[in-house]
Formats: sequence, structure tokens, C-alpha cells
Amino acid sequence: MKFMVLLTRGEWQESGSQEERERVFGSIQEWWGKLSASGQIVEGHQLQHPQTATTVIIEGGQSLLVDRPLIEAKEAIGGYAILEAADLDAALAVVRTFPMPDGKAEVRAVVER
Amino acid sequence: MAKPRFALSSSVSDSSPYGRLERVFREEAGRLTASLVRLLGDFDLAEDLVSDALVEALEHWPREGVPDRPASWLLTTAKRKGLDRFRREAKYREKLEILTAMPDAPRAEPDDRLRLIFTCCHPALAREAQIALTLRAVAGLTTEEIARAFLLPVETLAQRIVRAKRKIVTSGVPYRVPPAEELRPRLESVLAVIYLVFNEGYLATAGDVPLRRDLAQDAEWLAGLLARLLPDDPEPLGLLALIRLHLARWTARLDAAGQLVTLEEQDRSQWNQELISRSVELIERASRLGRVGPYQVEAAIAALHCEAPTWAATDWPQLLALYTLLASLDASPVVRLNRAIVLAHVAGPEAALREVDELERGLGRYYLLHATRAALLRQLGRAADAVRADERALALTNNPAERTMIEARLLHAQHRAVG
Repeated sequence: MKFMVLLTRGEWQESGSQEERERVFGSIQEWWGKLSASGQIVEGHQLQHPQTATTVIIEGGQSLLVDRPLIEAKEAIGGYAILEAADLDAALAVVRTFPMPDGKAEVRAVVER
Repeated sequence: MAKPRFALSSSVSDSSPYGRLERVFREEAGRLTASLVRLLGDFDLAEDLVSDALVEALEHWPREGVPDRPASWLLTTAKRKGLDRFRREAKYREKLEILTAMPDAPRAEPDDRLRLIFTCCHPALAREAQIALTLRAVAGLTTEEIARAFLLPVETLAQRIVRAKRKIVTSGVPYRVPPAEELRPRLESVLAVIYLVFNEGYLATAGDVPLRRDLAQDAEWLAGLLARLLPDDPEPLGLLALIRLHLARWTARLDAAGQLVTLEEQDRSQWNQELISRSVELIERASRLGRVGPYQVEAAIAALHCEAPTWAATDWPQLLALYTLLASLDASPVVRLNRAIVLAHVAGPEAALREVDELERGLGRYYLLHATRAALLRQLGRAADAVRADERALALTNNPAERTMIEARLLHAQHRAVG
């Protein structure tokens, strides 16, 4: 089955030193590359800064644009991946090895029709 | 989930004609639910079919007697109920085939209930959801019974269970016993769920009844089931022994007025000696498996108390050694608090008070820390400090029996102060 992984921007990304961020991004790249090569990561990306996000609000057939991300501050999404895994346990086992010093990752199954 | 419900109350005594029925129900309901969940991959459907079968059993068995092979009877009935249902609902064609192909007699394969237990206690579910689902699906309690036991509105409990089941089905939680390398940590969460159920029965945190034997017995049954299903793992045996040792002292824990009696003041002749020695055998069996764990050590601690002929004759140094071992396996401050209580008997109240004071930062909201401080301060002759500590303890517990016990102590201190 497929799982969506939403990654928050951790403290390391918000307020870590340039050096720390480069180091962490280095290990993430390596991790990502390995899992993509093995087919466990189907696709995924790091996202631009949450401040650059535009939220579209649709109400009564009308749409409105808001110049901010859907999720504010601490839990702002920094990236996402689509995983292929046998079950939730297998998906969680992969996500637990994501090499960031702090941050959160939401794992949710994709509806497959 | 508006299904007909039936009372499977544990208050029905074993000697009543319903006693045997109840045991068979409980034993078979979980087993049947487990098999059907595995086959159909649908919790709600499995439970509905089991409910239907049990309702039918409830109509027939009291009149006609429990059949020789109740498991087959229930399985056949559940299958027939399922077929009836699917014939009405054509969209379930796929499942119709599965049911049709199902054998009439349960297969002699590893008990499906183990998968059910591990799935209900999956760490992706919140603890309260694990508890509710385990009692519902494994122990066969109705939603109403669980709601009553935890003093929650039925609606809340029903939603909790529905949500948990939906999560299991849609989130990719595997329906299986975890593989060997994951078994340990996963087993911990199963044991914790069972022990929490027991503790809620042993000392209720809510409501007017201090002890709830029904929940305690449900937990004992679950622990026994787990020990049977995982015979090579010592911790389920340890938990079972621990629960039984507490149950062995059950009647002595409340006085005629319904007040809690401390271990020190309990009438030891009321303790169930046979249950105690059978529990000690369980601990010995567990220790022969050669892997010590926190539940085994807690059981050994309970056994040491149970085997002491009097409070004064308690083997305190041995008890302290066990608590030290337990603290090395379980770093929780509650364990250290209990160790400090024992330390008072070995090294005196002053040494114990130092330990307790160190724990205040982590356990400041725990009533027992303050009640313990009060007892130690009283031993040290610091009456005014003791009263203050008891007052803090009182403000932190809702258990009626614990409150009465502390209130009595405070009243006693007041009388002494007055004259």
C-alpha cells in the first residue's frame, strides 16, 4: 500500500546554524536517494519556505486567496513523500529512520481505488 | 452499531446456570471474532456476526443446554447469519465466497485471538482506544459494559471504538502477531493495557465504588489468555501471577463499612492461600524461562507480602532488593517511590524521606507521594508537616476509599493536637 508522509520543519531547520542544516540535509539526501533507488519512496519533495505558501479558500463556489500556509508556525510542512510499504508497521519503520535531529512526520495511508 | 445487546455481567456467579454459559461465551466470542476479522478483514462485520450468533445461543442454550462443541455451534451460526446477510446485500459477493468456503469446524491452527490482541493494542492507537477495543473485541464486553466500567457516556465509548476500528481497517495496521524482533516492545503495550484494566478495577480512579471486581476479573482473564497463547514468554505469566496475588487479598482490602484497609492492617487469615501458592508457582514457572522482566519482579514483590505471616515478619531487606531490581528495569518515579517506602523499614524514615523529597519534582501531582511523606514525617515526630502533606495528598485523589483513609488520619491528628 501507499502512504503519505508529511514532514514538519524541525528546530534544526528553523533556527539551526548554516553548518548544521547542511549536515542534516546531506544525510537526508543520502537516505532519500537510497530509498528512492529501492522503490520505497515513490516520490516526494522538499518544499519552499512556508512563508511562500498561498492558501486557496473555497466557499459557496467563490474562491479567496490567503497569503499564508494552511498549517501555522511549529508544524508547518517542510516536505512530503509517498512511500510504498506492505503495511503501517513497515511504513513506520522506514519513517523512524528519517535522519532529522528533531521534527514530526505524519504517516497516513493513501486511499487506493 | 445498533445491535441487540445482551448482558454478560461478571456478577453472574459461576454456580448459576448462566455461569457456564458466560465462560463459554467469553472464551468463544473472542476466538470467533478473531477468526472472522482475519477472514473478512472487517471488524464491524465480524462483531455483528458474533453478536448475532451469541444472541441465538442465548435463546437456545439455556433451554437446550450448552452444545458439546460450542465453538462449532457458534461458528456455524455466525456463518449462517453472515450468509443470510450477504444474500440480502449483493454487494458483498466477494465475502460471500469467503464465508461459503469457510470450514464448519474451527481449524486447529494458532489461536487467532493473539493477532486480535496485538492488533487492538497496536501502538498507532491511543492507549484509551487500545483498552476499549481490547475489552470489546477480545474480552467480549459490550460497549455499554465498558462505558459503565469506566463511567463514560455510552456514546463516547461507542465513538472511541468505532474510530479505533476504522483506523485499524483504513490506516494499514497489519492484522498479525508481530515478528520476533518486534514482539518485545509490542508485548509491553499489550501487558500495559491489561494491567491498566486491572488497576482500574483494583482501585477505581473515578466514581463512588473504590473497587470494581468485574474489571479486575476481566483483566485476569485477559492475562490468563495471553499467558496461554504465549507460553514461552515469562512476562504474561508474571502479570497473571501479579493480578492473582492482588485478587487473593481482595476480600481483606475492604472492611465491613466499605473502607480500604491498608496492607499492614489487613486480616491475613482472609487471604486466599491456595491462590497465593498457585500464583507463586506461576512466578517459578516464569523464572525458569530465564528472562527477568518488570511484571515478574512485581509479582515476586506481591508474593513476598502475601507469604509473610504478619506485617512485622515481612522480609524487608529481600523486598528492598527486589525493588532495587525493579527500579533497574523500570525507571519510573513511582517505582522509586515504592522503593523509598520499603527503604524506611530497612534504613529508617529519615533515609526514606530524603529519597521521597528527591522525587517531588517528577511526582508532585501524585497523591501517594504526599501520603507517604505524611507517614514518614509523622514517624519523625514532625506532626504539623505531616498534616500539611496529608492535605496535599487529599487534594490530589478522587478515589473515595483513599480520601476517607486520609481524612481519618487528618481527623486523628486534629484530635491529638486538641488534646
